[in-house]
Amino acid sequence: MPLDLSMFERFAVTYQPEDIIFCEHEPGDTFYLIQSGRVQIVKIIDEIEKNIDILQPGEIFGEMAILEEAPRSASAVALDQVKALEFNRENFEILMKGTPQIALKLLKLFTKRIYDQKRRFLILTLNDEQAKVADVFLMLSETQHVDNPDEDERVFKVAVDDIAHWAGISPDRSRAVLNHFVSQRRVEIFPDRIVVKNINDFARFVKSKRRQQLSD
Amino acid sequence: MPKAINYKANSIVYFRGDTSERVYILKAGKVSLNYNDIETGQEMHDLIQTGEFFGVKSALGKYPREETAVVLSDATMIAFTVPEFEQIALQNTRIIMKMLKVFSNQLRRIHKQVRNLLMTGANTNDPESGLFKIGQYYLKSRRFKQAVYALRRYLTYYPSGKYASEASSLLEAAENGTTGNMRNVSHAAPVQTGTQLTEVAKAYYNAVSLFSQEQYGEALKEFQKIVKDSQGGEYEAKSQYETGRCFFNLNKFDQCIKHYTMMIQKYPKHPDLVDALFYVGNSYEKLDNKNKAAGFYKKILSMAREDMPVYRKSKKALKKLGE
Repeated sequence: MPLDLSMFERFAVTYQPEDIIFCEHEPGDTFYLIQSGRVQIVKIIDEIEKNIDILQPGEIFGEMAILEEAPRSASAVALDQVKALEFNRENFEILMKGTPQIALKLLKLFTKRIYDQKRRFLILTLNDEQAKVADVFLMLSETQHVDNPDEDERVFKVAVDDIAHWAGISPDRSRAVLNHFVSQRRVEIFPDRIVVKNINDFARFVKSKRRQQLSD
Repeated sequence: MPKAINYKANSIVYFRGDTSERVYILKAGKVSLNYNDIETGQEMHDLIQTGEFFGVKSALGKYPREETAVVLSDATMIAFTVPEFEQIALQNTRIIMKMLKVFSNQLRRIHKQVRNLLMTGANTNDPESGLFKIGQYYLKSRRFKQAVYALRRYLTYYPSGKYASEASSLLEAAENGTTGNMRNVSHAAPVQTGTQLTEVAKAYYNAVSLFSQEQYGEALKEFQKIVKDSQGGEYEAKSQYETGRCFFNLNKFDQCIKHYTMMIQKYPKHPDLVDALFYVGNSYEKLDNKNKAAGFYKKILSMAREDMPVYRKSKKALKKLGE
């Protein structure tokens, strides 16, 4: 449903390709609704720039600033020429009341974020590093579109560092655990992807570890 | 069309793990949402108020139900599909605003929980070094435009920060399109403090994990050890708070009160102050000192924001005390 946002024209900002809209770690008090162009969300982890997401027109980003003026957790960079509406906490209510569709969109975004964070939390509560790593793959597989759900093998376009980040362990530990899985033939590592041979095997493994942890 | 449905007492509206795109509003009767607290594993029961929506998050987010909705006494509710719900919400922004508030609180809380569990080193906890390093990174990878942005930002927020002079010289280099003299760039956070921090952090999270497994006696010993070993600092303060929680869960209410009284004197601005007060109030309640308990709950209401869980809990507790 196309929204009439002409009343918000005074909040419009434009960026040239490669412009940084906001930078990881800087304090944030604004959030954005993309009107045209794409925005890339990146994070620099261990001297490597990681793509987190690419956002399209109609999407919202920087929304955590509505909650608290915390440092930005990632950078937003214009991929194309970008036009966006910039809001802060003061004009947030005007926006929400004037355009409830955006409020609804934000509500849905929050439900997704809450779910993602809770899922992440579950990984971190595991004591065992192998279980943490296996659970990262389970988490990734839950949001992955699969052509053939009966197939046990899953391919993930991730690197060892990504796994470390999600599991909350060091890249070295992440590599050690993955190498152990490789030696057990449960995992194959390629430069651009990691293959899990049997995702159901990982599911059973994590489940039993979690149960064990609860009864300990 | 949304339809009214009647449920008998003891029936189930939906189970945890179900997927469904139904959103409910309670018209009459009693419904409880039962789930396990993600941090402690404790079984929780949240009573739905008449007129309150439930099942919204999982329906909108299209993920499995996280709680089981149990009917406690004969109840009537109206079930909406997601599109029906959206239509109503769009006509009544108050609903959305109210939910945004609730969800953003939940999000803030879970973010905090995740952050607490992540044993991030000093670097990531320190936005000042973080921002400077981003500038450094872009300069190194010869992306001058981005380097200029990050370094300018750094100097805006931290004009006399610990990297201020380095940042100005790097900024100059970035503006000239050169990488400058990168060898001068020092590394943040000395290694020694980094390892010390990890040891305390490890001990702390170990104790937290004992607590979450309800091994309160063991957890208590660990937390007390951290307090003793680490003089001052973040983990001492955190462990002080947890120590009180252990006493409470061990039914040592006198000790819980005594401990928190001491903690509040030592850390008058402790981040978990209000929660600590709640435990004190609750301890008095357990000791049958209703006046004191009510006093603490009232104090919490005057200190906490309305959207904080502790505010709601205190209000509930006061109501139970007949205040």
